[in-house]
Amino acid sequence: MGAPRTKEKNLWELFITSPIAGPVATLVVIVVLFSLFVPHFASMRSVSGIINAATLTGMVTIGVTLLMISGEFDLSVGSLVAIGAYAFAFGTTEWHSPILAVLGALVITGFLGMVNGLIFVQTGIPSFIITLGTLYIYRGAVWLLSGGRLIQTLERPLVYEVFNGRLDIVNQFFHGANFRTSLLWLLGMTAFFQYILVRTRYGNHVFAVGGNPLGALAQGVNIARVKIINFTISGAMAGLTGILLFSQYRSVRVATGAGMELNAIAAAVVGGTLLTGGAGSIWGALVGALLISTLRTGVILMNIPFIPADNFEAVVGVTIIGAVILNNWLRNRG
Amino acid sequence: MSPQGNGSTPVVHMENITKRFGNILALDNVDFTVEHNQVMALLGDNGAGKSTLIKILTGVYRPTSGKIYFEGREVNIESPRQARDLGIETVYQDLALIDLMSITRNFFLGRELVRRYGPFEWLDMRRMDQATREVLRDIGITVRSPSERVGKLSGGERQSVAIGRAMYFGAKLLILDEPTSALSVAETRRVLDHILEVKEKGLSVVFITHNVYHVYEVADAYTILRHGRKVGTYKKGELSVNDIADLITGAREK
Repeated sequence: MGAPRTKEKNLWELFITSPIAGPVATLVVIVVLFSLFVPHFASMRSVSGIINAATLTGMVTIGVTLLMISGEFDLSVGSLVAIGAYAFAFGTTEWHSPILAVLGALVITGFLGMVNGLIFVQTGIPSFIITLGTLYIYRGAVWLLSGGRLIQTLERPLVYEVFNGRLDIVNQFFHGANFRTSLLWLLGMTAFFQYILVRTRYGNHVFAVGGNPLGALAQGVNIARVKIINFTISGAMAGLTGILLFSQYRSVRVATGAGMELNAIAAAVVGGTLLTGGAGSIWGALVGALLISTLRTGVILMNIPFIPADNFEAVVGVTIIGAVILNNWLRNRG
Repeated sequence: MSPQGNGSTPVVHMENITKRFGNILALDNVDFTVEHNQVMALLGDNGAGKSTLIKILTGVYRPTSGKIYFEGREVNIESPRQARDLGIETVYQDLALIDLMSITRNFFLGRELVRRYGPFEWLDMRRMDQATREVLRDIGITVRSPSERVGKLSGGERQSVAIGRAMYFGAKLLILDEPTSALSVAETRRVLDHILEVKEKGLSVVFITHNVYHVYEVADAYTILRHGRKVGTYKKGELSVNDIADLITGAREK
């Protein structure tokens, strides 16, 4: 008796030791900085614009992050976004069936994601390499199936409004704001998958498989099953992103989604997920996507004297590295 | 040696175990028996086959031929999960715990406690934290909170947590793979004490080691392997430290 009890953490300590502390801190600093130097930066028009630019990346990043925490990569998500968008577009414009369109997009992309996982489990080839290959294979499939044609429509069926319509309930309060329903989808999916990650048995297994696969195996975790499920989720989330994308722009071409895989990985890493797996957070990924979008917009608007506007990507790159250094420092401090 | 020996049944009896990897003969007709409530040390030089034998017992490998009896019943151990379900718990040197996860999450990995609400279930962190806290107290770790990451623990603390976990989940046979190899003197002392505590609680222990002096401290018996074959099983005190070393290296045949 009389052994010292570790005290319960207060709210501040809870925050500072959570995986989300670094990304949120960086975001706050950046937003404050830009608000000082850019007029109307914090206006709802500007904020909603930044959010919109981040939403599609954010949605893809959810699946990519979950997969990364379990230790694997999916570089084919960009192509899967295109496949999802085409499937959804085809289903709504040709077959006029929103349900089939949504189901088709999700099932096809989820299946192709699962294929990534099955190849990985069967061959043992690193997922980075496998999905690098399927990035091109799936993109080639998009070419073939679309015949190189883009799909475009001027119609506004309800299903488009549901997925990515204007959120006028909110917009009416803020002049010039353009909040969209896709934000609600993003928040909902983020909350859902974060819950799965930290509050379920499955989530515990995801962390274990990424952190120490042999240790997880020794405790009876089915590594293959966890990874295949995560590959499937990654694919389906890319499909969902394709649905959101087409719902907003009502057009999709063969090159749609190219490059999203790198944006997703950057957002995940800036948001605190370890490239090597075993740690990360879905909310962090959302913050990461927001951070990068904020940077892009802010740097252009800020018109830094010695950085011409077209070099804004360099600033983004520097900040990505800085954010990761900060995240690691905070993590090691405990 | 029949499974029903005189008196109580051995907790595990491995009979004529042979294991081939392609052309390599890792184990050649090895018999290995651990009596009820016995601490058995498994000795041998690198490449002798100790690790392979243990991995067969814990379901990581399947034997090429041979039988395994657990508490008198013949069993087919096809996966680590099956071994664990039988009551065989393993503490590996580096692989026991996952550094990035908290003590609680490691403790209950694969056996998480959940609360149900209709078709939904979610982790019962409160109960798991509470149980983990109690075990930490029992094994003498008082300065750690169960939500701390395992990576912050010392090597000895980690071994203690892994052993505590095995005991908590009702292990019948605890297997320790080189538990003291990377530890300081004080931590080694603590782990050896744990082994004796575990024995007091009624478990059997198999521990693999290079260190003959540790064998002398805690083992009731020791089995020596060389080049995939069993050299012999000896009771505590039968051989001197030098004899044991000679048998391991092959300077002596029996």
